[in-house]
Amino acid sequence: METGATSRAGRQMPTAVRLGLVLFLLYLFLVGVKALETGIKSFGADFTHTLFEGVANPLAGLFVGILATVLVQSSSVTTSTIVGLVGSGSLAIPLAVPMVMGANIGTTVTNTLASLGYLRRSQEFRKAFAGATMHDFFNVLAVAVLLPLELLTHFLSRSAEALATLVDREAGAGVSTIDSPIKIAVKAPITLFENLLEGTGSTVLGILLLVLGLALVFVALAFITHHMKLVMAGQIEASMNSLLSKGAGVTAMMIGLLMTVAVQSSSITTSVLVPMIAAGVLTLRNAYPVTLGANVGTTVTALLASMATGRAGLVIALTHTLFNISGILVFYPISALRKLPLTLAEKLAAVAERRKSIVIAYVAGGFVVLPILGILLLQ
Amino acid sequence: MVFDFFRGGGDTQLEKIEAQISQMLIDDRHTFDAAINSLLGGTDPSLVGKDIKKTDRGVNKTERAVRRELVVHVSVRGTAADIPLVLASMSVVKDAERIGDFSKNIWDIANSGIDLSNAEDIKTLTTYRDHISKMIAETARVFRERDVATAHEMLKEGDALQDEYDEHIDAQLHTDQPAREAVPRALLYRYFKRITAHLMNILTSLVMPIDRLDYYDEDKADRA
Repeated sequence: METGATSRAGRQMPTAVRLGLVLFLLYLFLVGVKALETGIKSFGADFTHTLFEGVANPLAGLFVGILATVLVQSSSVTTSTIVGLVGSGSLAIPLAVPMVMGANIGTTVTNTLASLGYLRRSQEFRKAFAGATMHDFFNVLAVAVLLPLELLTHFLSRSAEALATLVDREAGAGVSTIDSPIKIAVKAPITLFENLLEGTGSTVLGILLLVLGLALVFVALAFITHHMKLVMAGQIEASMNSLLSKGAGVTAMMIGLLMTVAVQSSSITTSVLVPMIAAGVLTLRNAYPVTLGANVGTTVTALLASMATGRAGLVIALTHTLFNISGILVFYPISALRKLPLTLAEKLAAVAERRKSIVIAYVAGGFVVLPILGILLLQ
Repeated sequence: MVFDFFRGGGDTQLEKIEAQISQMLIDDRHTFDAAINSLLGGTDPSLVGKDIKKTDRGVNKTERAVRRELVVHVSVRGTAADIPLVLASMSVVKDAERIGDFSKNIWDIANSGIDLSNAEDIKTLTTYRDHISKMIAETARVFRERDVATAHEMLKEGDALQDEYDEHIDAQLHTDQPAREAVPRALLYRYFKRITAHLMNILTSLVMPIDRLDYYDEDKADRA
């Protein structure tokens, strides 16, 4: 028996079992999205029209996306819910687009909160805070450029429509009226649930399905992330080590993308970077493309969610992906634009290092107060 | 790249770190052998100086790489990180780096013009040389293979050697020999003692809890 300091802790669950569990959780996640879709449909068209009338203003939609994501601490939950709502026909795509963009901004709060752990050590805090907020600045700048463009031209949603058509065609002409095996499997427990509660009235059934759907999406995603992080930790470490030795660029972006797809959470990817930046082993410039890759990687969750919904769900999920790819195409190739989020983050971190009250104002004001005021004033 | 990423992980990164530390020890042995032979074996110090410095720079580089990789391990794993192993590795990697430094110090003695290859006590010195060289290689193996039983034996052996080195140092401090004879020997025995102590520190990581790492020689109960 090893008694020394270098003895190893045993692994509790075999990888194959854990991966099987993840597949089951993925199924529960899709059931959750379907429950959301079915639940909202139960309320009827009039109710949903009234519900989303308040977010007809795109900025209000953006703030809803930010606030919802900050509250649930997961853009994947927000975007999957939006996919469910769009899939049910309750939320129109033009209204959903700003919400999805808001989710992108809201998700950046998690690594910013992670950087607060270094508040008492000024030098490390400055690096950690800059490392966290470069993601915020990039996403805010991307929204500032792409949201007005989308509102004027609908280039993102139209491109997504075209891609969705392509996906339909690839799936085979004439099969669109037949549900895929995944959709049938996902629908089965919902139908069973509806049959069990037959006679309770559509409103009660709708509320129960909504609660069940939200709970399933939230819990399934949380556990998928937990288990996948354990399964992939070795590979993530190896990728991060290769990032430290090889530097930044497209490879780093791919690492961010793959890591996020693997763990189904951009917050995990970006939060993992924070301690490395704070410790000085990873530079801001090398970490930056990883966060951009994470932005694209996180859209896979919404794409998975769209497997449980109709074509509109797929369109909004693809819009989310195209938005994040467009953000990279706008800001990354040109050096001056590429450096902009980094410069802004470094400047904010320099101020925050001197005046810690700025940090509280930034987090509470930017992620909670401003979205609430925005929703109240613009609805 | 995508397939590589999803191929599966496990604890390979910590195993890689352990392999790197083991390789540092192998490089340390190379540095030690080259340095000590320039003092005891009659090798021209100028011929091996470049190689010794290059190998030592490589050892230093590996030390920094290991530290970065340990930060990555903790960052990625969070609360699931193997903290005792990380802390022990942080300590052990420093010991491995210091062995290279002391070997370089031995070369410095030779490079200053001291040659003990024809000294009266050459047999004693070469016996210690061979013992330490073997001990470095054996520590690399024991650490890599987590051979706890051999680690215990080596610690006992190292403990006895430390006492012998102390006696030699003490003898040189009180000798009537000229400084040119006494000082190199006092320094050499001191370096032997430090190298052995660092090897013992590495071995303690296999057999003792983290809080008692490096303190083997301070508690006689550990020698039992």
